[in-house]
Order: sequence, then structure tokens, then C-alpha cells
Amino acid sequence: MTITEIDKAEAYRYMGGRGEPDGEVYRKLCECEKMLLPALTPRYRYEVFDISVTDDGVMLSGGVLLKGKDIISHLDGCERAVVMCVTAGQKADTLIRTLEISDMAAAAMTDCLASAAAEQICEKAEREIFSVVKTKYRTTRFSPGYGDLPLAVQPQLLKLCDAERKIGLHVTDTLLLTPRKSVTAIIGISDKVKSGAADVVSCDNCAARENCMIRKNGGCCGNKKADKQ
Amino acid sequence: MEIKKLINSDDILIFDGGMGTRLQALGMAAGESPERLNLTDPELIERVHTEYIAAGARVITTNTFGANRHKLSRIQSTPDVIISAAVNIAKTAAEKSRADVFVALDIGPIGQLLEPAGTLSFEEAYDIFAEQVKAGEKAGADLIIAETFSDLYEMKALLLAVKENSSLPVICSMSYEESGRTFEGCPPEAQILLCEGLGADALGVNCSLGPNELMPVIEKLCALSHLPVIVQPNAGLPDPLTGKYNVSAADFAAAMIKAAELGAGIMGGCCGTTPEYIEELVKVISGKKRTPREIAPLSAVCSGTNVCIVDRPRIVGERINPTGKKLLKQALKDGDTGYILNQAVEQMSAGADILDVNVGLPDIDEKAVMVRTIKALQGICPLPLQIDSPDPSVLEAALRAYNGKPIVNSVNGEEKSLSAVLPLVKKYGAAVIGLTLDENGIPKTAAERVDIARRIVDRALSLGIPREDIYIDCLTLTASAEQAAAGETLNALNTVKKELGVRTVLGVSNISFGLPKRELVNHIFLALALENGLDLAIINPNSELMSGTVRAFKLLKNIDKNCTEYIEAYSEDAAEKPAEKQVVSVEYAISKGLADTASELTERLITDTEPMEIINEKLIPALDKVGADFERGKIFLPQLILSASAASACFDVIKRELSKSGGGISKGKIVLATVKGDIHDIGKNIVKVLLENYGYTVIDLGRDVDYEAVVDAAIKHDVKLVGLSALMTTTLKSMEETIKLLRAKKPDCKIVVGGAVLTEDYAMKIGADFYSKDAKQTVDVANMVFSEAEN
Repeated sequence: MTITEIDKAEAYRYMGGRGEPDGEVYRKLCECEKMLLPALTPRYRYEVFDISVTDDGVMLSGGVLLKGKDIISHLDGCERAVVMCVTAGQKADTLIRTLEISDMAAAAMTDCLASAAAEQICEKAEREIFSVVKTKYRTTRFSPGYGDLPLAVQPQLLKLCDAERKIGLHVTDTLLLTPRKSVTAIIGISDKVKSGAADVVSCDNCAARENCMIRKNGGCCGNKKADKQ
Repeated sequence: MEIKKLINSDDILIFDGGMGTRLQALGMAAGESPERLNLTDPELIERVHTEYIAAGARVITTNTFGANRHKLSRIQSTPDVIISAAVNIAKTAAEKSRADVFVALDIGPIGQLLEPAGTLSFEEAYDIFAEQVKAGEKAGADLIIAETFSDLYEMKALLLAVKENSSLPVICSMSYEESGRTFEGCPPEAQILLCEGLGADALGVNCSLGPNELMPVIEKLCALSHLPVIVQPNAGLPDPLTGKYNVSAADFAAAMIKAAELGAGIMGGCCGTTPEYIEELVKVISGKKRTPREIAPLSAVCSGTNVCIVDRPRIVGERINPTGKKLLKQALKDGDTGYILNQAVEQMSAGADILDVNVGLPDIDEKAVMVRTIKALQGICPLPLQIDSPDPSVLEAALRAYNGKPIVNSVNGEEKSLSAVLPLVKKYGAAVIGLTLDENGIPKTAAERVDIARRIVDRALSLGIPREDIYIDCLTLTASAEQAAAGETLNALNTVKKELGVRTVLGVSNISFGLPKRELVNHIFLALALENGLDLAIINPNSELMSGTVRAFKLLKNIDKNCTEYIEAYSEDAAEKPAEKQVVSVEYAISKGLADTASELTERLITDTEPMEIINEKLIPALDKVGADFERGKIFLPQLILSASAASACFDVIKRELSKSGGGISKGKIVLATVKGDIHDIGKNIVKVLLENYGYTVIDLGRDVDYEAVVDAAIKHDVKLVGLSALMTTTLKSMEETIKLLRAKKPDCKIVVGGAVLTEDYAMKIGADFYSKDAKQTVDVANMVFSEAEN
């Protein structure tokens, strides 16, 4: 998979900008994009599991329990779920670290561009996954940290996808994904036409609610980026 | 037969195939830990070993891929328990088979990224591996195989742990992507340089891809490595839906013949391979001898991701050396790593191939500073480093912490130096610079210097340091003092290169000491040295004339084919005609975030305006206006950051000017840190830029900072304000702990906290004095704290 252009308007929003980027900000975003694109090494892995609802959450047939009420309602009406792990790769992190030394503004912009790129990689990965996994209906992505789904499940999700070995995606003891521009997510799928609601995460159950730049500026990301910076 | 002999014999040595995927096929439950099965279902593990032995494997690999303390904590077990059980199972299988089979202790990556990408320290990684190695040797393993590594630094930790804690042979295998690099960006050449240097017994590649996709990497390893090459590919790639691998046993074996023809000497399989694959492999390989390989000597050094082959003149950047550099001295004293890193980035963009690192100052802990500097440098700069210190204990600490193969600067002809430095060079597999001086000083004549060079080379060779890793420095003397000496240096250089067959290195700037127009003399001397065979030119790469001389030399000598490098370095100058710049004010440039313009205008202003006047009349008002616009929502964070960076560029100009007169502009010192366990520091760094704009001296401790380190810095610098940042809910705990410790040890200092998931309420709950929602507010907090303190 390759990314040839990054959504600069999205990156601008991650930075706390409103409207469209212009002037020096836009020029610099383009400059950063030029540096970042060759540093992206998009990789992803996924596995499909049967699911069953328990008292505490949703059980994956891989033996992992997704705890919480929100994941139950998100996967309501689904028989199976896709667990996917996505990363933009190590080089993007290194580039950002280097820029932090020489040009802080470029570092901040590249950081947000890399978040936007991770989002695009997720979209692309989803398209590729669902050209193989045939299903009538699917939910949006739901990630650890959304609502009451704990981050503590990260190591298990990575293990289910053998993500460490297959795409070089790790998690620290403090449950941060490394490389930093990475996403894990759960997508419910169903062969029946789904009746349940809740396939969009609202700000109400988002972990980033209090300090979200997009929300502060009157917007909403859909379910896109609660674990991004 | 001994296993060491088998590794090096003419016959191809056969390993087993995949363990994890085999266990899955035999019914291991999803989510089960394979390591636990050593305790709960030893018969199953033994069965897999027995199958592989029956298929013809001479070496079987224990079921211990993830048996490190970090991973085993999830199943409440320890390496000692799991490894001794696993080795015993394998030995039982081997004994029962009555074949001559050896048991390899399998060690996989720890499962956490090492610093700076992750939070695991190199030293801790070493400890984790040492524990496994000791347990394996105690349990009776015959050899160790480290496999599926993708970080060269982690491989180094493993190799050191093996070498210092056991006498077992060790095989180092890494996993490559189709790009020809590992996930962490390590190329095969770097694997070779590191593993050979640190004394591995064999090296190679496993997992990730099938044999055909891995062939380019196998080819490189076989062409360049002096060690036996191991190849253990997957059975192709898995089908995403069924998990079935797409290369059959027969096709796998056929592809492995190609690997054997390239020179691979040890073979087995990884994920998806089964006893059937090993059986097929044995069938096609049996009776075949290893393809003989001729390996040409290679002079090269590397970092974790970049290899510098010294087959042409290379530039060693000399700027990270405090001698005669006031700002760097100050930065070293203050622990300001940022300044040093900036020097590195600058030299890298100016065209340096290698960076010299010297942090020696009379009143600092050189060893600690050196290690810290090296770790910081390798986080941001991919260039190989040259470790520069006269103190062997500093050299050793640096050699341990370095990721890759460095150059040691330096050893000399004195017995004391030879016996202290060369064994370190050998142990850590470095290259070394030999200075042609001894207890009698620098000899006058070329012939005498060549004699010392010969002594150094002979001694190094006798210790097993290969000739291609030796770089002789014939020493530059000052032309104004000893005019004839320049010729002697060049003659010595020429002779050393021709007669001793080693590489050469020279620091050239000393030639012009005490003369006017130094660069003029320097670059001509450099050209002469290059013509006499200089390989490593230690120069200031930021000097256009100096790095340009090296580039022009390579062009004229037909080394830089098609003038590619030369044109690449200078084409932008020709192409980019600067557009007519509008005449604008510094204030305007800052408000629009035009860093270059702002800095140029400051340069102009400073010729006739007092520095403090520029700061107080122009920069601060401009920043205040930007800050006010930000608070009112007229501009947003991106514009604020750009403006802050533009103002920073102005301050850099002013600081340079002030340092000439010895003045300073600090309003006070503030310690900033991203808390333990957290590696997000963009936010903290934006705060830093803005605080510096307002005249504060920021002691930036970086990210993932220990509680104690924050407290120590706060006490050492006696600061009034500490700023802590945390981005994740999971690291807020660290923030709370840091605050507690600060309260106990430095109660008079105020604490401001910020970060994405933090709220005012929470900040107060964990005992902070201030919550700051953005960088601008942190400046307001600082202004308040420091003005109160004044009153």
C-alpha cells in the first residue's frame, strides 16, 4: 500500500486550525508532506472472529474479552468482528523527532500530517480488507480508549493479529502503541441487514472529549481519531 | 562432532521448521501462550521436536521464542522455569532419537521497542537477555539462536548478553521486508558489520517472507559476510482468510537450492513450514557441499540504519567538540542536549558522512554525558558516529551504548594507550583511529611517523582487529610554526596508505592556526591530503569551501560518477532564484510566521540596535499580539507555532550576538519533562519554544523521564517552576508520582501540568499548582510565577 497525498485540511484540523489552511501554514504543510511521504511505510494486519455478548462485554472467538457497554452497543446485531492493526511505520516517528530538533513548527505539522496519514491508511486498509471479507453490513471502526473500552486490551489485540512480528507494531507497558502513528480497531460485521444503531461514535463517549481540538472548534470527527495526537 | 565445527563445516547444516504455526496446526488454542505449553503439555512440544528430527533436522530449536521476563509476566512465569523445561524437552527428544542432534536455545525479540522509539532502555534489554542466556546454558542448550530481530540495537543487547554471560555459540538472524530492510530500517550490511564485530558465530535471515522474496537479502549476506549464513524463510505468505501459507514443500526446497548456490550454509524453516518441508529440504540438499564464497575486505561503519562504506573520501563532521566553542561548552555544562543535536542535524544537512562526538570538559562527568549524548544522537541522526575521548572508561561506556559499528578516536603508539584501547575496539567490534605519536611526542619526520603507524597496525592485527578497520592519522601540525611539517604529514600519509594498506584520517583545520584567511589554507591542504590518499577528512562540513573541496575532488577523480553527488548538492543553488523579497518589519514576519525573513531582518537590525531593545520593543510585542489573537480565536495553533518559530529564529541571532559580549537574557530557569512512560513530546516542545521566546531558560529533560530525574534537575538548577506533560490516561499516574516526589524533595517549586487528556480538575486533584490548556497559557503561568518571585 502506498499513500501519495495526505489530507492537509485534516492535518490542519488536528493542529487546532479552523477552516482551510492557507498562506505560510499551507506552504509549510506542503513542505512537510513532501518530507513525510517517503518516510511512510504503511502496514496492516487483520483477523476475523466470531463474537458473543457476555455480561461484561463482547467475547471474541480468539479468547479475548472486549470489556464495556459501549463495545456491546457498537457490535449490536453483528455475528462477527474484524480486529485490525495498522501502522504508518517507524520512519515517520524518526522524522518527527529529527524535526523537533531543527524546526519545531515543521515537527508539529508533520506530527499531525502523520496522524492524518494513519487515518488514510486505515481507510485504505478497510477497503482492501472488505474486498476480501464479504459482508452485507459493517460498523465503523471502534478503538480501545473509545467510550469504556479500556486501553488495557491493546496487547491482546496485537497478539491476535501477531502484529509485533508481522507489521512491527508494539505496545509499551503504559499501553502506548509504538510506532506512534498506529491504530488498532474493531469493526463489527453482519450478514443480516443490521437493525441496531450506534455505529457512529459520538463525542459523548469519546476519551478525548475534554480536550479535543476539533470538538473545541465546533466540529466532530465521526469516529476517526480519539487515539491520535 | 562439536556444534561449532558443524556451523563452520563444508556440509550444509539443517535446522528444524516452524514451531508456533506447527503448534497451532496441532490444535493449540488461539490466545494460548506457546511457552506455557512447555509446562502444561510437554508431550506436544516433544512430538514437534521428534517430527523434525525424523525429517532430518540436525539442530532443533527450543519452544522459547517469547520466554523473556517481560512476556512471561503475562502468564505469571519466569525465564528460568520455562527455559529449563523447554531445553529438557528438546534434549529428551534428541536423546530418544539416538541421532546426533543439537539443541538451540531460541530467543526472540523482547516485544517492546527500545528507546528512543519505545521506552525500553538498552541496559534493561541486556538484563532481560542475560537472564535467558544464563538459564539456557544452565539447562544444557548447545547453542543460541536469536531470530526474527528487526532492531539492530536489540540485536546488540542480545549479543553482548551472550558474550558476557556464556560460552555458547550464537547465531543472529533478522527479519527483512521486501524493501530489503527490517521494520526498524536496518539493512543487511549493518547486520553484518555489527554481528561480525561482536563475535557472532553465524548470521542470517528468517521469517517475514518466503524464500524467493528473501533472495536479494540472502544474496547480500552471502556476498559480504565472512560468517556462515543461515536462511530460515516462511512457507511463503499466509492467505489472509484461511491462514494457509502459499509455498509448497517442494517449491520451498527448490528455492532453497538457489540460496545454497549463493552460499547459504545453514538452513531451516520458519512460520508455516512443517516436518514435510524439512524432509523435502534434506532430500534436495543432502550430499551438497557449501558453495565457497570469496569475501573482499570492506572498510565500513554503521548506525542502526545507515552504512558508510569508506571506499572514497568521506567527511567526518568535527563540530561536536567543545574545544574553542563557547556555546557548546555552556550547553554541555547545562545538560542542554538540544543544542548538541542541532549541531548534528546541521552537519548532516551540510553533507557529513560520519559525526565525531567529543564531550570532554574538565568539570563534567564525561562518561555520563557521553552516553546520554550518544543515545540522544542516535534517536535523531542516522549517521554513524566517531567516539572521541582520551579516557578508555568513557570509550567503553560509549561503545556499549552505541547502536552499530562506530569508529574509536583514538589510540596512539604509547604502550599505555595500545593496551587500554585496542582490546575495547576488539571486544565491541569497532573501527579505530591510530595517531602517529607516542610517549616521545609527535616525530618530526615522515619515516618516524610511519614507524609508529606500523607499530599500531601490527598490534591491532595481533589482537584480531582487521586491517580494514584501522585508520591512521599522520597528524597535522601548525604551518605558521613549523612550515616544513605540512610536507612531512602528507608524505607520511602517502606512505602509510601505500605500504601499510590501511585507511587514513586527518583533522586538517590545525594547519592554519595563527594565520589570517584560515579557510583558504585549510581547503588547499585538504585537497593535497586527498590527493595523497586521505579517506576520512575531519572537517567543519558547514564550511562550504571545505565540504565543497571533498565534493569537487570526488568529481575530478571520477569517483562521483556522472557528477551525480556534486550536482545534487548544488543544483538547488542554481535553480532557486530567490524571489524579490517584500520589505517587511520583524513584527510582520513574526506574525506571518516567516522564519527566514524574520531572522534576516534581525541580522540587519542588530548592526545598529541594542539586543535588549530588539527583544523588548519588537519581538515581545509581536509575540504578545500573536498570543492575543490566538486567545481571541483570530488565529489557531498552527499559526501560533509558526510565529513562535519565527521569533525563535530572531532569538538565535540575538543569542549569538550576546554570547560574543558574554551577556545573557535569561528571565529564569524552568524544567520541562514528558513524564515516565510517555513518549509524546510535541506538545511539551511547543511549550518550550514559546517559553524560550519569552526569555526563559528551559531545561528540557525530554520524554519518558524518571520521577527522580525531574526532581534532581529541579534541585540542581534550583528552579521555581517545573512543567510536566502527559498525553495518555495511562501515564497520568506517572505525573501524579512525579508531583508527589517533587513536593517531598523540592517543596518551594511550583508545578504546571498540561497534556491532551488532562483537565483542570484532574490537575488539581493530583496536586499541581497550575493547569495549562495550551502553550500560551504556560507562558502566562511562568510570567506570573516569576513576577511573584521577584516581588
